Amino acid sequence: MARSASQTTQALRDIGPDLRLPFAARLRLPLLNRFAAASGIRIPPLRLWATVSRVTRPSIIQRSFGPDFLALEGVCATELTSILDDAERLLPCAVGDAPAARVLEGKLIANLFFEDSTRTRVSFEIAARRLGAEVVNLSASGSSASKGESLVDTSRNIEAMGVDCLVVRCAISGGAALVAANVRCAVVNAGDGRHEHPTQGLLDLLTLRRHLGNLRGKRVAIVGDIANSRVARSTTHGLVALGAQVVAVGPPALVPSSWGALVSGENISISHDMDSIIGEIDAIIMLRIQTERAADRGVAPDYRFAYGLTEARRRRLRPDALILHPGPMNRGVEIDDAVADDAFSSVIFEQVSAGVAVRMAILSRVCGRR
Amino acid sequence: MSSPRALHFRGARIIDPLSQRDETGELLVVNDTIQSIAFGGRVDAPKHAEVIECAGAILCPGLIDPHVHLREPGGEAKETILTGTQSAAAGGFTTVCCMPNTSPCLDTAMSVRFVEGRAAAAASARVFVVGAATVSRKGEQLAPMASMAHAGAVAFSDDGDGIASAGMMRRVLEVCRSLDRAFMQHCQDASLSEGGLVNEGSVATRLGLAPWPRDAEEVMLERDLRLNGRLDARYHAQHLSSGGSARILREARARLGADRAHRISGEASPHHLLLTCDACEGYNTGAKMNPPLRTQWDINELKLAIADGTIDVLATDHAPHTIAEKSRDFASAPFGIIGLECALALYTKALVEDGVIDWPRLVCLLTLQPARLCGLDRRVAGIGTLTVGGVADLTLIDPQQKWTIRADAFKSKSRNCPFDGLSVRGKAILTIRAGEVLFREDPVAQPQRAAVATGS
Repeated sequence: MARSASQTTQALRDIGPDLRLPFAARLRLPLLNRFAAASGIRIPPLRLWATVSRVTRPSIIQRSFGPDFLALEGVCATELTSILDDAERLLPCAVGDAPAARVLEGKLIANLFFEDSTRTRVSFEIAARRLGAEVVNLSASGSSASKGESLVDTSRNIEAMGVDCLVVRCAISGGAALVAANVRCAVVNAGDGRHEHPTQGLLDLLTLRRHLGNLRGKRVAIVGDIANSRVARSTTHGLVALGAQVVAVGPPALVPSSWGALVSGENISISHDMDSIIGEIDAIIMLRIQTERAADRGVAPDYRFAYGLTEARRRRLRPDALILHPGPMNRGVEIDDAVADDAFSSVIFEQVSAGVAVRMAILSRVCGRR
Repeated sequence: MSSPRALHFRGARIIDPLSQRDETGELLVVNDTIQSIAFGGRVDAPKHAEVIECAGAILCPGLIDPHVHLREPGGEAKETILTGTQSAAAGGFTTVCCMPNTSPCLDTAMSVRFVEGRAAAAASARVFVVGAATVSRKGEQLAPMASMAHAGAVAFSDDGDGIASAGMMRRVLEVCRSLDRAFMQHCQDASLSEGGLVNEGSVATRLGLAPWPRDAEEVMLERDLRLNGRLDARYHAQHLSSGGSARILREARARLGADRAHRISGEASPHHLLLTCDACEGYNTGAKMNPPLRTQWDINELKLAIADGTIDVLATDHAPHTIAEKSRDFASAPFGIIGLECALALYTKALVEDGVIDWPRLVCLLTLQPARLCGLDRRVAGIGTLTVGGVADLTLIDPQQKWTIRADAFKSKSRNCPFDGLSVRGKAILTIRAGEVLFREDPVAQPQRAAVATGS
């Protein structure tokens, strides 16, 4: 990975051009695509498994680049299954029971967290280290660093120091895609605003698949702050792609009526009555009320009464139904203490282990194969 | 002493919205006024007059845009009064009304005079000031509207924000009524739109962007129309985006009856007639608008409202922003797009080519109607019309000319135009203010245009 001094100088020079090109690259109105095609302008689609077209700058850092991983929307069942199979094989390595092949030996991965996180960051770090990569962590939460402009600037600076992959968490919907459009190294979305958190979606899928087998036809309820949840979006895209039925449950303020349009087809439904669906589902995913995204203003003080997973509701679940929670939990709000702690019915900690496995699978995909 | 300057238009399709005539003929301009008009005939032109062979191009009153942002003072990186008026002239507009959301805000007589002075120095399109109705556009305290009107403010608006308090709204309408000035409302109930980025619906949901419901516009429009029912001020709703708003306005005008309906009006802008919220896909900040782009249903309803006269003013909401600002992420990028140089072609596409209205009506909505809204006739006799003895503000339009919108070629200082690269038809080829040519299309750049041969 040694790079000559002149290359580095060039790379640094390359960081600070004006923002004309990214802007041009983002003028990609579907309506105007054909006109753009006619006039030779390339308008890259921004959705998002597989390679995102980069801003065309002269190639200075000579390296081959892997794909980004920005969202579960648009990822087909075959691809999902392949990732989940990889993750399943990596599960013993993820928890330290077996050594992993060090496919990322010599790679440098930067965790760029513009928003607070503990578990996701640590999970990515452990995944990268188990595969042999070096990891640097950059936490830059706080208002100025969360703005889009410095998001791009910071990413370009970090990239110029020779990292192979940026793992990006930010409060901006579309932030990871914005970074990906402005850097050449691989980008993994570790949660962008209200948009997607694709590795969290994958770990939910892996956990569900390990317990329920094939997910086709299975009914999964996602309960709580759907509107503000990137987990709900990613998990729903993944579940629907694998043929499961997803019911979004919560108060009207937190479950937008347009939720059903998230994907085409009949596999998404909405319910504002938790008790009417609680007995008919194979798994239930409880979401946290995201006070930092101002969701609490749409939430009545009796939230637990209407949508909390209480002891009484737990008893109405099918005996084999799974309870998932992406954490962190608000105990006594969306989930009761005893339900959360019950090791027999709860697979919440298994989700955490699965998280390392899916992140190992993703990291080796985006920057492991050269 | 040299003989007076004269322009002799020959073979033009002359459209005058006031007399509602649309005929081939000749028109003679001497100095700054229209000397004579001959529908279907010839004018008696002096020998020295410059002859402009129009070859069937449309000759109409200079276009008037009642809603632009010239950004000066305070936003000179985005646009200045000079570049903004040059952009207007290049788009066929001889007059623009600028909104007060500058920095500092145009909320004093002094700031009105500042803008008028800068506009005079720029010597391009005319600029009239729409003053702020409340101090700093905060909606808390009445601005000195009487002195601003005296200094030249032609209308009032807190554009960028709606006036949230119903009580303040009533005060503002009362004052506007007493000053005989229109109030232009940016209909947006902040408690419904707060934080909103994209039309409420599947695009907002999928992209995880805060939704902006139609209610935010409709609720304030309905409230205002209710308040104005007793006050009878000249009320104008800016840049309508929602099909529901069009219906509300139609019902309100029907309640007022034919003789009072003109006291309330609504405005459309090109982007709300051509783009839907789907344009925001991929976090495209080029399609980030306030109010947001909505759906095909809204476009259809707005077109219906334009066809039946419910919406009778067209504007651009020309909103320049720098490339750096629009290159930010979707949430922190500013709202708005520029429109002066492509509005005519876009309205041709959205309204004429689509059969919603014909050319004479389009000309009326871009000239006489905004002139009436802002009472511009008080300032410049005959503006917005073709009147013998009236001011010679004229635009010559080639309705057939095909061209491609190139934001890089705009006279505007900004480039934030989502229509960049679009092939369109219809172009202003000559813009004349008070007999002075502000813009004449370069014949080399556009060889396929209709002939605008000149001779003497």
